[in-house]
Amino acid sequence: MTLLPGSAPRAAETPQCYIDNSWWCPPYWSDRQELLTDALVQHIWITIASVALGLVLAFPLALLARRFDRLETLVVGGTTIIYTIPSLALFSLLLPATGLSANTVIIGLALYSLTILVRSLLVGLRGVSDDVRESAVGNGYGMSRLLFTIELPLALPVIMAGLRVATVSTVALVTVGSIVSYGGLGNLLLQAVGNQFKAQILAASVLCVLLAIVLDLLLVVVQRMVTPWTRTGASV
Amino acid sequence: MTMMVDAFDYLFDGANWSGSQGIGVFLVQQLLLTVTALGIAVILGLPLALWAGHTGKGGFLAINLSNVGRAVPVFAVLLVLALSDPIGSEQFGPYGRAGLATLIALVLFALPPIITNAYVGIREVDQDIVEASRGMGMSGVGMFRQIELPLAMPVIVAGVRLALVQVWATATIAALVAGPGLGRIITRGFANERTSEVVAGAILVALGALLLEGLAVLVERRLDPLRVARQ
Amino acid sequence: MMFGRLTVALSAAALLTLTACGGDPLEEEPSPDSDAGASSENDPTSDGTETSDGTEEKGALTISGQSFTEAVVMAEMYEQVLDGAGYDVTTKLVETRDVYVQQMSDGKVDVVPDYLAGMADYLNTLENGEDAEPITSNDAAASLEALKPLADAAGITMLEPSGATSQNAFFVTQDFAEENSVSTLSDLAEVGPVKLAAAPDCVGRDDCEKGLKEVYGIDITEVVPLGYGSAQTKDAVISGEVEVGQTGTTDGTLEAQELVLLEDDQGIQPAQNLVPAVNTEFLSDNPDVEEVLNELSATLTTEDLGQLNAQVDVERMEASEVAQTYLEDKGLI
Repeated sequence: MTLLPGSAPRAAETPQCYIDNSWWCPPYWSDRQELLTDALVQHIWITIASVALGLVLAFPLALLARRFDRLETLVVGGTTIIYTIPSLALFSLLLPATGLSANTVIIGLALYSLTILVRSLLVGLRGVSDDVRESAVGNGYGMSRLLFTIELPLALPVIMAGLRVATVSTVALVTVGSIVSYGGLGNLLLQAVGNQFKAQILAASVLCVLLAIVLDLLLVVVQRMVTPWTRTGASV
Repeated sequence: MTMMVDAFDYLFDGANWSGSQGIGVFLVQQLLLTVTALGIAVILGLPLALWAGHTGKGGFLAINLSNVGRAVPVFAVLLVLALSDPIGSEQFGPYGRAGLATLIALVLFALPPIITNAYVGIREVDQDIVEASRGMGMSGVGMFRQIELPLAMPVIVAGVRLALVQVWATATIAALVAGPGLGRIITRGFANERTSEVVAGAILVALGALLLEGLAVLVERRLDPLRVARQ
Repeated sequence: MMFGRLTVALSAAALLTLTACGGDPLEEEPSPDSDAGASSENDPTSDGTETSDGTEEKGALTISGQSFTEAVVMAEMYEQVLDGAGYDVTTKLVETRDVYVQQMSDGKVDVVPDYLAGMADYLNTLENGEDAEPITSNDAAASLEALKPLADAAGITMLEPSGATSQNAFFVTQDFAEENSVSTLSDLAEVGPVKLAAAPDCVGRDDCEKGLKEVYGIDITEVVPLGYGSAQTKDAVISGEVEVGQTGTTDGTLEAQELVLLEDDQGIQPAQNLVPAVNTEFLSDNPDVEEVLNELSATLTTEDLGQLNAQVDVERMEASEVAQTYLEDKGLI
């Protein structure tokens, strides 16, 4: 590459893998260590905040849908519709209230996660057999005690499966936050896609996957701790 | 509200439906993509997950591999596939430009909910029932077909339904590589600041999602022998 | 059940209406003229030039802008000169213009490095609707005059445009240029039917498909929407899928890929001079910002921009580093 006059000194020390635009380029990882770390940290907390908010929103929705059959269609359909709204449209709706902040992304992603979380909560709770429910009621359990001590624990394996899918999907979705400047690794990814910087595309993608693996494993560990009786947990 | 009126004007104008860049072509492509990607994902994922659920072997690996696949943003997968040599962005039959790359990306995207739900569904079948049927001398296959599969069906089907809706909504991303599908209308409208066209595209995607989900519910009822009994 | 779902479908339509009435164009992917994507938000290494020389401390200042290479470099330069002037600068880069213009009118973003015709056309469409007549031309001064009232109405003041411009341009492979002896767009019209890879908004635009057809008489058989100057667009031209691709005059990567720009000899491209856009209220509170940014604009040339872009896109230097070296060379920080 014959480079531009004036840039010669830097060109001499440019790593060859930058010039060749290789996927694998160790100097990139050390050169941009700080950039990668900052992006990863932002990615982690936005993911966790989004899923947590999603769960908080999904819980009452799922209970409502379960309680009133007519609402199920509305709730499940509504979360589906939200999921089909393009991300910029959703963020644009939120922008006047939340501005260029992480809140915009967190609220948006929490809304997207509803379609997964509400469904798994519903399916999980529905899966609790009526026999169990009736015997609990027969033993004098009230509605909320029934829910929290019998139904939710029994539904946990299915709910946790949903939570894992939601978490890992959210790791990928955080990248769209770059629309409003808070996309974690997505900021690096999109910029690299724009100028086809392969080393950066690879680094950001690999970190996304590693982050997903770690969060997923953490959830498995949590699941084993809170549902020691399940086969799923035991066989893992 | 004028935006909505404009969007419907756009949708009801027959001229916008015809031609190689018309709604008709993109709608058919999107449907083809969704059905094909979901079909492949079900064929690849379900047997694997059901077998793993039944035997208890390899489930951890299957779930985690497919689940973690989701962490790679679909558009990154799509771009890498479309820009790489073996797959590239050639015309792929009725799927249009970059059709193969889009299909692969969507299949990868559809696998996790299918595999996770099928595996968990089978694993969560009440052990007492499974033990009882074993005691009654049922074979592994019989147990699977008559006990585990029917009982796990709601969870399995929920996974496929979720995958269906998500693949349909995500297929719009193919527009990033000038690929097939309704995303082209949305991108085109956005690029030209013709918001009515964007809204029209979004309406089609949303309505399509609801229609597909409705169809899935009908299919689900036929596939779930216990649903009627339960209600 | 199905009937219930129909109800949902209708409420969906209502919901989408709300979305649309929110006033912002919807979008799914990065916009065509920002194919580069996201920001290097607040790269902490970038504000390395502390005001140790006792410059007086001023208030907080937020820069925004788009996140493709050139815009990132410009934002870095703005950040560093304003930081040098004593401001506490935060940079938040976004993917599309509509995001920051809205924030700028609300006073949440103070300064944006923008493009003359790009901003003018955007505000014109926002104000006068999707089918508004273009108000920009090849003439920078006239375009600025047309832009000013629209910017005023949005609470935005345009400072002095730079001589540096980053216009849309069209390229072919060197081989194609030699074989067919083309160096201008007028030459291209003589070659025969061609395919074009361009941004998704190309069809029907006076500075793209429509202008190429009507002003130059080029027979374009297909426009493949692969993005403005994107890797995909270049790949399509190099592989021969299309003959012509769209990029910018400051694209620093063409030479390395054996691609050449064709001259816009009939001047269909509107003036895309780099120009600082500042929130009007912020500017009246902090009038010194104008001088700082105008000085940078006056220094910057189109050639400089091309070199800065190439340092990021080819040599893979960090935008902050590229900006800092340039500003130091020019004595601006």
